[in-house]
Amino acid sequence: MVTRSNLLRGGAITCLAAGALALAQGLWIPVKADIAQLLLAQAWTRAIDGESAPTPWPWADTWPVARLSVPELGEHAIVLAEAGGEALAFGPSLLSQSVRPGENGVSVIAAHRDTHFAFLRDVEPGQTIVVERPDGPPALFRVTGSEIVDANRSGIQVAGGEPRLALVTCWPFGSITPGPLRYVVWAESVDMNRI
Amino acid sequence: MASARTHHSSGGQAGFGLCLAIAAFAISAFLFWSDAQADTLAEPTEPQRIEGLVRLSEISEGALLIETVEPGVYLPAPMLATDIAIETAGPVIRTRVTQRFENPSDQWVEARYVFPLPADSGVDRLRMQVGDRFIEGQIHERQAARRIYEQARDNGQRASLVEQERPNMFTTSVANIGPGETIIIQIEYQDVARLRDGTFEMRIPLGLTPRYIPQAADFQLVAETGYPVPPSVPDAHRITPPVMAPSGEPGDQLRLPVTITAELRPGFELGAITSLYHATRIDRSQPGTARIELADGPIPADRDFVLTWRPADETAPSAALFTEEWNGETYLLAQILPPATLGTDTQRRPRETIFVIDNSGSMAGTSMRQARQALLDALDRLQPEDRFNIIRFDNTMEQVFPAPVEASPARLRQARRFARGLNAEGGTNMLPAMQAALTDDTPEDTSRVRQIVFLTDGAIGNESQLFNAIYEDLGRSRLFPVGIGSAPNTYFMERAARAGRGTFTHIGNVSEVSERMAQLYTALERPVMTQLDALFPEGALAEIWPAPLPDLYYGEPVFMTARVSDPDAMILLEGRLAERGWQTRLDLADAQPASGIAALWARNRIKGIEETRFQGANAAQVDAAVLRTALDFHLVSRLTSLVAVDVTPARPATAPLHSQDIAQMAPQGWDFGAVNRNNPVRHAALDTELLDRLQAHASPEEAALAAENGLALPATATPRQLFTWAGALLMLAGLIFLMMNRERRLW
Repeated sequence: MVTRSNLLRGGAITCLAAGALALAQGLWIPVKADIAQLLLAQAWTRAIDGESAPTPWPWADTWPVARLSVPELGEHAIVLAEAGGEALAFGPSLLSQSVRPGENGVSVIAAHRDTHFAFLRDVEPGQTIVVERPDGPPALFRVTGSEIVDANRSGIQVAGGEPRLALVTCWPFGSITPGPLRYVVWAESVDMNRI
Repeated sequence: MASARTHHSSGGQAGFGLCLAIAAFAISAFLFWSDAQADTLAEPTEPQRIEGLVRLSEISEGALLIETVEPGVYLPAPMLATDIAIETAGPVIRTRVTQRFENPSDQWVEARYVFPLPADSGVDRLRMQVGDRFIEGQIHERQAARRIYEQARDNGQRASLVEQERPNMFTTSVANIGPGETIIIQIEYQDVARLRDGTFEMRIPLGLTPRYIPQAADFQLVAETGYPVPPSVPDAHRITPPVMAPSGEPGDQLRLPVTITAELRPGFELGAITSLYHATRIDRSQPGTARIELADGPIPADRDFVLTWRPADETAPSAALFTEEWNGETYLLAQILPPATLGTDTQRRPRETIFVIDNSGSMAGTSMRQARQALLDALDRLQPEDRFNIIRFDNTMEQVFPAPVEASPARLRQARRFARGLNAEGGTNMLPAMQAALTDDTPEDTSRVRQIVFLTDGAIGNESQLFNAIYEDLGRSRLFPVGIGSAPNTYFMERAARAGRGTFTHIGNVSEVSERMAQLYTALERPVMTQLDALFPEGALAEIWPAPLPDLYYGEPVFMTARVSDPDAMILLEGRLAERGWQTRLDLADAQPASGIAALWARNRIKGIEETRFQGANAAQVDAAVLRTALDFHLVSRLTSLVAVDVTPARPATAPLHSQDIAQMAPQGWDFGAVNRNNPVRHAALDTELLDRLQAHASPEEAALAAENGLALPATATPRQLFTWAGALLMLAGLIFLMMNRERRLW
């Protein structure tokens, strides 16, 4: 017999279950991001050893291409090749249409605002960004500033010019819903010998 | 009682809720993991074959391949018309292929034009018309070509780069083909007619030839970005061998008739002209020239067009002359075709033949059987007055006799036993065997000719050492490499034959052994024209290639190309045949004009310069000379590539463009011949399912807008906070409901 209280109880249990599921997913996102970085650290050492495209786990569709760090903030992350849609869940991704860090043009690295690039809000002009590469000396960049752009009209022209770095994440920080705005931290190449 | 039970059960519900939350967490964790797994597992491990789509390796004729969403798989664009114009000057065949294709889809697409070339030929001209734009390939140094291409690409311009992907396959990409647009592509390449038993043969492949199946190593796609390539071309290393049966070829709905015209100017009085598979109409109204047309109009492209021709008088020695004026200089092609009967009356000279047979592991199987059979055939041709020896080598070396011996029946029996017992095993160390074969213990013996028959697949790495040995120790010996197996190292063997002043024979099949060895033996037993030289009057000559002129074996023509400063000089050609002098006079004033000779001269020059590397020339100087020649003569080479550059004439912005204007707009000197008619050609519509698979590209307007907007940035927000907050709120709401429910019951 279906009574009002039975209905209420059923609804309450459904709410609890759905809530638990959603909460679990929300809590899982940063855990996954961190676990992935641990696995990626191993793949990165293989990349340094000369393996081309070392996948961090057998079915992965991406592989480490660089290691990015901001010494002043104590932040670091392994950067992945943007090969499929999933790479961003595991680490910052070097957009495939941009250039490799240290080469002429703009290297665009994007990551989620609430995991790997949460620290971008603390990055300030003058700070140093180090990009280690598997096949050469680290590339050094100095932060020149930041801007807020629309994702579809970023104005970022990838080709040509001095080596530059653009770190991209969603704007505003702390917003609950996705939006069209992106926060871009710009950095210019620094000559290794002048440090 | 009831309330106690209720209370109890309510406490159980709270515990259940907690259990559920934990279970839900575990399940969601698992779901996430398996999601990631499923995404990647879903990728096809084995590419599926889709009827109507092709891979690069399956192309046996000129085709325009439209990119599909699957990398490495293409849709051949419908070919609307093909026109083939052939012009021969002596043995030089210049072929101009003009093909018209159509973009069958209503999208902007990108495509690759692929053309398999006959061996030894090279494309030196590429012209394209895509919509209203005219594009011409221009030659540049390989690295510079890449820079120009990359710069144009980075500037947002349309460009394409033509590089030799394999020696006999050239591809170029065509960007920006609009919906339903017509593409006309014209290439020109140069080939040489094959001469066999006094008959010249020319073959235009039209689709019946088996599909080219690349070796794993000769087909490498290069990543343009410099990133590792694995995910984008997972199948580049894979051999895709399905051979399409002729009946499986697309019907004549897709492959429209081909028109062929040929103009033969062989340089001698023409005898029989035969088209093996097609009815032709031959016009011989002009002396020395024959014009050939298809008798029944256009033909369906279902079988090769093969044309053979031979001289009217087979006994008279003939030398033919062609010249080309090119960039203010005169280029000469002299073709020396000795009469087939020349020297047949001379007595067979005794010989000393050294057989070298490769029994290394790479020869295992059919190759070893062929080599054994070839050796046994050769032993049968020896006469009692001949001397011979057999040397076999793998990583070791063994001589049947310590020194060459007379070919007595007993010794021949011993040699045959030895040949039958040969097995392929071990590594390859060719140098000691080559040195042993070149060791001549009777260098003063003029009664015998000394010949080395070298049976091998040429799978070696130390080519330069071998060439050095040949150049230094050749003496009176002559070297005749015989290539065994389907893919011998022809690069090595052709050059070894040239260095050893002999000829190269290729045996690709066991069934060919007897025939090919008989041909080689005829050449070995007939007298050889030696010491060939061309004497030019003082100051008339600039440069002859090949240098020096090679010896002339029976049935072989020798081509001489030269750059001459005096277009009216007399040339004296002389040589020695069977102890007698032979000479002929050539008057350059009699030479007929022909095109393609400068390019042929340049090709010979590059070949000759490359050879000097083995004679100790400085590598940097060789590279510089090759590069200069290739650039001067517009040739794709080891060091040069073609970059396609837009040469569309400027059109007043006020003048609207109509499709019929395009033909009239063509740059001066461009002739797209029979295919450049605007008459619509009907062809069956393509399967729309196939069209759905095409990789759509932005139209130029969209592309320009996108370039202005800059790089599109990916979404970088996670639903983490949304999920966390929504989950917490839902759980809170659930708990509140439960509490309310309990309280109501208690009261």
